Amino acid sequence: MTFRFWLRRPAATLGAALLLLQVIAIVFAGMLAPYSPTMADPLHSLEPPSWQHPLGTDVSGMDVLSRIIFATRINLLVSITAVAAAFLIGVPVGLLIGFYRTIASTLVMRLFDFIQSFPVFVLGMALVSVLGQEIWNVALVLAILFVPVFARLVRAEVLSLRERPFISAARCSGAGDISVMFRHILPNAMTPALVQLSISIGMAILLTAGLSFIGAGVRMPTPEWGLMVSSGAQQLILGVWWVSLFPGIAIVLAVLCFALLGDQLRIFLDPTKRAPGKAR
Amino acid sequence: MTPKLAGPVVRSWRALPRPARIVLARVALIPPQLFGVLLVTFVLVRLLPGDPALLLLGNMATPEAVASLRQKLGLDQGVAVQFVRYLGRILHGDLGTSIFTSHPVVQDLIERAPATLELITYAMILTIVIGVGLAILAVIGRGGVADHLTRLYGMAAGALPDFWVGLLMIYFLFHIAGWAPAPFGRIDTYLTPPPTITGFYTLDSLLTGNWSDFTSSAGRLVLPVATITIVNAGGVMKMTQTAFAGIYDSPFIRHARACGLPQCRIVAMSLKNSLPPIITTAGFLFGFLLGAAVLVETIFAWGGLGQYAVQAVINSDYPALQGFVMLAAVFVLLVYLVVDVLYELVDPRIRI
Repeated sequence: MTFRFWLRRPAATLGAALLLLQVIAIVFAGMLAPYSPTMADPLHSLEPPSWQHPLGTDVSGMDVLSRIIFATRINLLVSITAVAAAFLIGVPVGLLIGFYRTIASTLVMRLFDFIQSFPVFVLGMALVSVLGQEIWNVALVLAILFVPVFARLVRAEVLSLRERPFISAARCSGAGDISVMFRHILPNAMTPALVQLSISIGMAILLTAGLSFIGAGVRMPTPEWGLMVSSGAQQLILGVWWVSLFPGIAIVLAVLCFALLGDQLRIFLDPTKRAPGKAR
Repeated sequence: MTPKLAGPVVRSWRALPRPARIVLARVALIPPQLFGVLLVTFVLVRLLPGDPALLLLGNMATPEAVASLRQKLGLDQGVAVQFVRYLGRILHGDLGTSIFTSHPVVQDLIERAPATLELITYAMILTIVIGVGLAILAVIGRGGVADHLTRLYGMAAGALPDFWVGLLMIYFLFHIAGWAPAPFGRIDTYLTPPPTITGFYTLDSLLTGNWSDFTSSAGRLVLPVATITIVNAGGVMKMTQTAFAGIYDSPFIRHARACGLPQCRIVAMSLKNSLPPIITTAGFLFGFLLGAAVLVETIFAWGGLGQYAVQAVINSDYPALQGFVMLAAVFVLLVYLVVDVLYELVDPRIRI
């Protein structure tokens, strides 16, 4: 991993740098943030960016920079937890319904069809509102919405893999269902789901922020990027741009990071796309 | 179906023209899909924690009042009975009463649907035109400036939150530059909206020859439509690019090029042959735009279905929310129906 390695891959470098930045923000939020993310200071309400408040203050005088740093925890933890849960449930379900083609697997697929026939944001909004507007309910709802995505990808791979000669070979050498599924099919069926993992985290970040923006998610004064953008929306036409602008940039960078990493993962996991003669 | 009957049925089915067969076969799928939608919306409201009767009456209600409302709502019966009663109500066009507006939900939805449809229709047309146009530019100028720029745009557009882009547009184009009209509603407040013919302000004002209504409503559409287009055209571009590049490099196009056909004819031929995946993308896009409308309508105080849904979420107005989710799902079902039919019509290889 030399300097040259990174220089040759600008997309990977940018993705990795952004990820590192977010990890630092999550781990060292308390040390990096100059102020408390939730302490109101009415005397310093709506101050433009200055040396005291590098990104300005919001309507209740809370420091925008500190809130953005602390919000990384909530936005990323919710998105990553939700997508990881969806991955851990969706992959085995996709494996099972691809491998055993019974009425039950057809029913599960139809259920996924129904979930996916609703517009994602509309269903997410309704579910969060019905379950109760709490941050972990947002994570739960996102997990529900993403399970069909992973299950479908794995199922499609399994359907083509199970007919291949190497599976018959494994059968002939005495492998049972469990062994065929987990030792022979699963490792070969994972690539699309792994690439989707990173892209889905980006989508989950956008959905979380969108839900909080319309008020279906976390509440003030919890630091959350979408909620911060929304809290500045009222003052925008009075010329107060910093409250909404900066948290939005944080969202864009976070989503971009996972999109770039997903792209790199796709190239890395696809042996045909690697440069010839550069074995890793 | 008995074998005796099967012969004539199959024969008369074959006798129908191909478009009719395509439409009939696809329409037959609608009832089970609709049933699924109703099941999901029913389960959605059953997920509500607590007793719906208590929720409607508030904490101060007497046990007798709660019990009588439970009986009236059918909550004392089994879930299956409740579902059947729910289906019956919906078939009679009864979606309940909104807690917030205290109007029937159906009436609220019908009043607000044209605003959302107008926004989505224009946004969808522009998104597809720009997305497909950029994809063609990128494929034709492969390796050139256009290719690199579109790739950058595709990457960035996927990361943009639509609500944030909308706010930036308001700030820069309305507040700073003063080019765009105010982001409050569909038409200037001092104007009376045109009489309802199609429900689209732009069309209705043109049909009634009201020029000031037309310029005002068209102006108000600019920012929200641009917001939705900027965010979504990138995805359309990426999907079209894959399909279009596949056709553009195929042997029959190479043959056409070798025969000396001009570039514009070759592009037109490739585009015609990559239409099926583009139509599918457009169908997906519609579902996306319904979600985007929720956020964008909130920002621009559009007064359509999306803003209604947000109000329902904020006020825990579950009948309204349920009605909106159902309407959104039915819209998507209908759009997929049209998409599937078009897809099969433009691809003569599909047998039906």
